[in-house]
Amino acid sequence: MTKRQMYMKMLLSSLLRRRSRMTVALLAIAIGATVLLGMMTITYDIPRQMGREFRSYGANMVFVASGKDAMLKLTDVEKAAALLPQESLLGVAPYRYEAVRSNMQPYTVAGTLFDQVKKTSPYWNVEGGWPSEENELLIGSDVAEFTRLAPGNTMTITGRDARQRRFNREMTISGVVRTGSVEDGFLFMRLDTMERLTGRSGEAEVVEVSIAANEAELSALAARIRERVPGITPRLVKRVTQSETSVLSKLQALVTLVTLVVLVLTMICVATTMMTVVMERRKEIGLKKAIGAENRSIVAEFLGEGLCLAILGGLLGVVFGWGFAQTISMNVFGRSITFNFALVPVTILTSVVVTAAACLIPVRRATDVEPALVLRGE
Amino acid sequence: MFCQMLKGALMRQKGKLSMIAFTMALGVSLATAMLGVMMDVGDKVNQELKTYGANLSVVPRGTSFLSELYELEEEDGEDTAPNAANAQKAEKYLAEDELVKMKMIFWAFNIVDFAPFLETAAVVGGQPVTLVGTWFDKHLDLPTGESVDTGMKRLKSWWDVTGEWCRDDEDGAMLGQNLAAKLGLKAGDFFEAATPDGAGRKRLEVRAIVNSGGKEDDQAFVPLRLVQDMSNRPGLVQRVDVSALTTPENDLARRAAQDPNSLSRKEWDTWYCTAYISSIAYQIEEVVTGSRAKPVLQVAESEGAILRKTQLLMLLLTVLSLICSALAISNLVTASVMERSSEIGLLKAIGATGAAVALLILTEIVLTSMLGGTAGYFVGLGFAQIIGRTVFGSAIAVKGLVVPLVAILVLLVTLLGSLPAVRMLLSLRPTEVLHGR
Repeated sequence: MTKRQMYMKMLLSSLLRRRSRMTVALLAIAIGATVLLGMMTITYDIPRQMGREFRSYGANMVFVASGKDAMLKLTDVEKAAALLPQESLLGVAPYRYEAVRSNMQPYTVAGTLFDQVKKTSPYWNVEGGWPSEENELLIGSDVAEFTRLAPGNTMTITGRDARQRRFNREMTISGVVRTGSVEDGFLFMRLDTMERLTGRSGEAEVVEVSIAANEAELSALAARIRERVPGITPRLVKRVTQSETSVLSKLQALVTLVTLVVLVLTMICVATTMMTVVMERRKEIGLKKAIGAENRSIVAEFLGEGLCLAILGGLLGVVFGWGFAQTISMNVFGRSITFNFALVPVTILTSVVVTAAACLIPVRRATDVEPALVLRGE
Repeated sequence: MFCQMLKGALMRQKGKLSMIAFTMALGVSLATAMLGVMMDVGDKVNQELKTYGANLSVVPRGTSFLSELYELEEEDGEDTAPNAANAQKAEKYLAEDELVKMKMIFWAFNIVDFAPFLETAAVVGGQPVTLVGTWFDKHLDLPTGESVDTGMKRLKSWWDVTGEWCRDDEDGAMLGQNLAAKLGLKAGDFFEAATPDGAGRKRLEVRAIVNSGGKEDDQAFVPLRLVQDMSNRPGLVQRVDVSALTTPENDLARRAAQDPNSLSRKEWDTWYCTAYISSIAYQIEEVVTGSRAKPVLQVAESEGAILRKTQLLMLLLTVLSLICSALAISNLVTASVMERSSEIGLLKAIGATGAAVALLILTEIVLTSMLGGTAGYFVGLGFAQIIGRTVFGSAIAVKGLVVPLVAILVLLVTLLGSLPAVRMLLSLRPTEVLHGR
């Protein structure tokens, strides 16, 4: 039997014979690795996930026309939208405003794409329904209060088209929108309805864009649009972008610190458990020394055992840690977590280092002592 | 006899038991820190979210619609003059001296900042300009003897200001960047503003240029007093923006927002005494005559959503890391009991019953963990403070509830953690153990 075969045999039998002890040690390492991988994945993914949540504040970029033009062209808007990263683009909602009258009262009516508005302004509180038919109208809550109109009623609006001819149209109110700001005093209709009424199309006054990105990325995107699409001037909505950056960085710092504290404590817990398991075997070390084993070979054996446990525990930790992170992500954000595969080797390496350190300390202490003393139990 | 054995065991195995105590201390400090941070994270994040600005807008009852109408007519271009005059005449106002009452409502402490606004059309160098009168950094003395500082400086923390903030008692102005570019003015310049009818005329110094990324970029902000003088509307304001700390809305709050009278007496009390945005709005309407407080949904709704997510995230992180530390601790307890199997075997061999041995071991471990737990609690308080200071720049208020929670946790974890160990030692056969198998 060669030395290597003997070593493997000792390692294997040591792992198998002492099943309950080894389970305890393996469990400790696996728990440590689970926390490690889970927390690191969450810390890594939090900005992206939270960033999506912050989009509920509404548009963080608006497009306005460049220069003296009051209107921007929808073809330019399409070009600009194509320059934005599609996976993080939530919505692009154009708004076009017209002055109309109803019952002699002047109103501002906005034409827009409602399926995009739902994405860019998720905070709109609509009582009744969103307009889906062509002659449906959404009215602001102040207008509703002033006119005493409710969803289901009709409202006749008059105005002038592009060639200054009067138009007159009876619209059905599909719902009442409440936002607490200027929208409460507006009327809203579908953009294509407005285009047909006014006889002008392909234009908008302002376009609201909601992108899941931080302030620096947004500035870069804005610069690119300004350069490639000269008809559009993109502007960042400072209130939203700047506040998002400050709050998000705080949240990230919070999660990072919490992770750090949890990691340090868990690693120490793993180490103490490993030390207890190894300390128990002082007698065995003494006996081996007494029958002529070198310190080096004893250390090598314990390290070998530790390594096996660490790799196995680390692998278990990777699986459970992914589950841990996924559970949190699904519960909190309702979205699947992005898994960073670079964390797998990091987790396994950390388990190996912690386990090795936790083995070495008690083994060193045991090997340094005279075998007779250890065997006697002192 | 039991006490003596206990004492002996504790003294003899100082090393091993101190390791349990140490691990316990770590686990408990983790629990304390996480629970402390989790319970306070709502308040802290709420405070941070105030950077999004006002979540309540207070306007005179019944006229909010007309004032916006006025703004529209200007854009329209058709028959501006008569309508504008009509609108101005029909306009209702809030009284400036009543605003201080907002800091005296039930939820006064939740009202973080507020600023009033009064707009007037003006002409500067032949160009029409909207002058907005407001408080920049106003000092108010409450009848209760307290004092508050509030105003735009706190409310619009995202503003990028080039120059000095304007003071409330000087003839200064802060110009939006687009307006400043249009008028060709920069900080330090003087300009003359007059109302369209020429009645009010003021010479103002540009204190700062503001970049806000919103419609404020086209406006000029001046002290409230100036606009009141120029447009002859002394002591009046058109609108007040209020930034308040609120509790996320629930069904009760939503029902109350529709109609506070639909609630039963008990529900009404709960609603009135919770910092829902609707109840704060209601209380403001109570104290400011003829006012209507509208939640700004863009800010209010999103705040609620983000607060809930953050709290849920911290709760889940806390629960999961507590489970992990509980597992780690019970694992260690098992390991340390296993290590002592020969001692236990000996005890059993000389006639100790399983129950007696289990009691001895359990008492030992519980005593040790209590000791470790107490130490860990204080370390955990330290961790919580470190997190609070580094992240939010303010201390974390650890709630009293944390102490019993942690104590129960320690007891539960130790006892449950010892269960597998106890089961194992009850099944130990003395001869086998002593033989070394």
